[in-house]
Amino acid sequence: MQVTLQTLVGGLSLGAIYALIAVGFSVVYRTMGLVNFAHADVAMIGAYAASTFYLTTHVSFVLAIIISIVVTGIIGLVIERVLRPLENKDFDLMLIGTIGFGTVLQAAATLIWGTTGRAMPSPISSGPLDIMGIRIRTYDLMVIAVTAACVVLLTLFLQRTKPGAAMQAVAMDHEAATAVGIHVGRSNALAFAIGAGIAALAGGLAGPMLYVDATLGSALGVKGFAAAMLGGFGSIPGAVVGGLAIGVLDSYAGDHFQGYSVLVTFLVFTVAIMIRPTGIFGERTVSRA
Amino acid sequence: MIPMRARSRHIVAAPAVALGVLLAASACSAPGDSSSDDADSSGPIKLAVVDAQSGQLASLGDWEAKGAKLAVEEWNKKGGIDGRKIELTVFDDQGDPTTGTNIARKLDSGNYVAMIGTAESAVTVAMAPILKQAEIPNITSGQATALVDVKSPFLFLNGPTSTTYDSTLADYLVTTKKFKKIAMISNNGSYGKGEHDAFTAALKEAGITPVTDQVVTTDQKDFSASLSRIRQAKPDAIFIGSEEVEAGLIVKQSRDLGITAPFAGAAPQGTPVFIDTAGATNAEGTIVSSPYLSNEISDASRAFATAYKAKYGKDAELHGAKAYDGTNIVLTALKNSGGATGKKLADEIRATKYAGLLGNFAYDETGVGIFRTTIGIIKNGKLSAAQ
Repeated sequence: MQVTLQTLVGGLSLGAIYALIAVGFSVVYRTMGLVNFAHADVAMIGAYAASTFYLTTHVSFVLAIIISIVVTGIIGLVIERVLRPLENKDFDLMLIGTIGFGTVLQAAATLIWGTTGRAMPSPISSGPLDIMGIRIRTYDLMVIAVTAACVVLLTLFLQRTKPGAAMQAVAMDHEAATAVGIHVGRSNALAFAIGAGIAALAGGLAGPMLYVDATLGSALGVKGFAAAMLGGFGSIPGAVVGGLAIGVLDSYAGDHFQGYSVLVTFLVFTVAIMIRPTGIFGERTVSRA
Repeated sequence: MIPMRARSRHIVAAPAVALGVLLAASACSAPGDSSSDDADSSGPIKLAVVDAQSGQLASLGDWEAKGAKLAVEEWNKKGGIDGRKIELTVFDDQGDPTTGTNIARKLDSGNYVAMIGTAESAVTVAMAPILKQAEIPNITSGQATALVDVKSPFLFLNGPTSTTYDSTLADYLVTTKKFKKIAMISNNGSYGKGEHDAFTAALKEAGITPVTDQVVTTDQKDFSASLSRIRQAKPDAIFIGSEEVEAGLIVKQSRDLGITAPFAGAAPQGTPVFIDTAGATNAEGTIVSSPYLSNEISDASRAFATAYKAKYGKDAELHGAKAYDGTNIVLTALKNSGGATGKKLADEIRATKYAGLLGNFAYDETGVGIFRTTIGIIKNGKLSAAQ
């Protein structure tokens, strides 16, 4: 029982990070119908940026993350601006373009920060809570809280504000949106910037839990992508549920199948996707271009 | 009619000549033939370092390349070998066996005399058949017993095998510390699997069965389940068979779960990357079996560490020292044989007795030259000899 609960706690903590990654994927996808394959590498850049400001300039952890969100937000804008001429013309090239950007970001990280990577100490010094033998790290609780807050804010933004509503409109029908005077390009740019910002948040939060190096992106990206698929690509609540589900599934698979846990996790994932191709919350597929 | 016939004969003859040339050419480049290798005996001697310069194992590759470069620089300063300069090229295998085999072919066509690396046993094992055919001696930093199983006369190790590391470690835990309950956690990669098998065998010899034996994957990030099982088993010590970063995460998470037993492992657990990832306080007391505990073990190691620090501004560590030893052995063999290549060079390496940073190298038939490790313990974030 203790093992089962402890495994659940561990799975949920990492699941919260996967959820954030998945939310970022979904924000871009629901607006543009585009999977941003550079997303996970943007998260890696975010982790590096946050750790750099935190470790070398000794700003507070919160400030370091905010700076890294701004930095990666700008990267997101750059990616969108470069890809914009392809919008509504060649969708496949846009996809490949994002893959290319991912490779560029990885190479850039190796150039700037070297190959060795760095370990980031936890910003919270208090030890883990002990609830009837189940240990819960305070840092993990904070990660879960930040993820929850981020999702609530994002949902409010999309539903209650004008730019958010414009993004929704573009997602539904970009031609009609243009007809009523919405700037589609600007809306897409905003989606990319928000997606990149959330990626930086995920990467920055993952830093103290994991190890920051150029491969952090692929470590988070595959599970984050799977989480977005499982929840229903484009759905924000779906991304959260998918992320937590993948995290917990992975932990239990690790317990029961040891070295074969990855195989089992993705087998279960594949079966789930076969039964429900649109994911848990997915009701429509955006198709553009 | 007659001129016509003559012309047609010409037409037939031309392809026949071409075929003849082709046959002659292919006869020259039959597999295993290394005639082209001896062609160039006046230019620089070409050595290759093959190691991950990108990806998760990039730090290992970086250390290796630094050690090898330092050795080559010292030899070149002394005038090279018989007046010939030594030229060192670094190849990036990304820690990936497929990339490794492509590089092996490049080494063959590029007339490289010998290869230093790789640090990843799986890559070296994949490259070994091609290097054997091309007759390029290879000194690897891998330690898996799979390297010995390849049985290539061109493959040498620059350190002990897992068997040596782990039998020394098991002996210390069981005989010296009198630990009875030993738990194991290892990953299913080539290194982790090798460590798992070698340590299990060593424990069995000492008459001990591990209280729990957890296997994780190489890219796993959350170890709650495995560590909870280990916590339940209440071990005296936990053997860890995993690379630097993952081992660091395992130790960090285990302390968060309230596990206080010391960890025990081989070379990766003595590195700064491991200590940083785990956190110095969490890594405190980790028992390490290593052939190179610190830069302070001998005059040679102090000299090496000083030169390393002067060149790179960083502290030397085990992997750099291993590559430094390996490169020196190749260069010594080259010097003794007057710049031999291929099979001759491999035989010369096997015959070379070399007093290196890790100890006295004397190669046996299997390509292993050193059979000793010592036990160190991490104290105040630094590895030092036990007692």
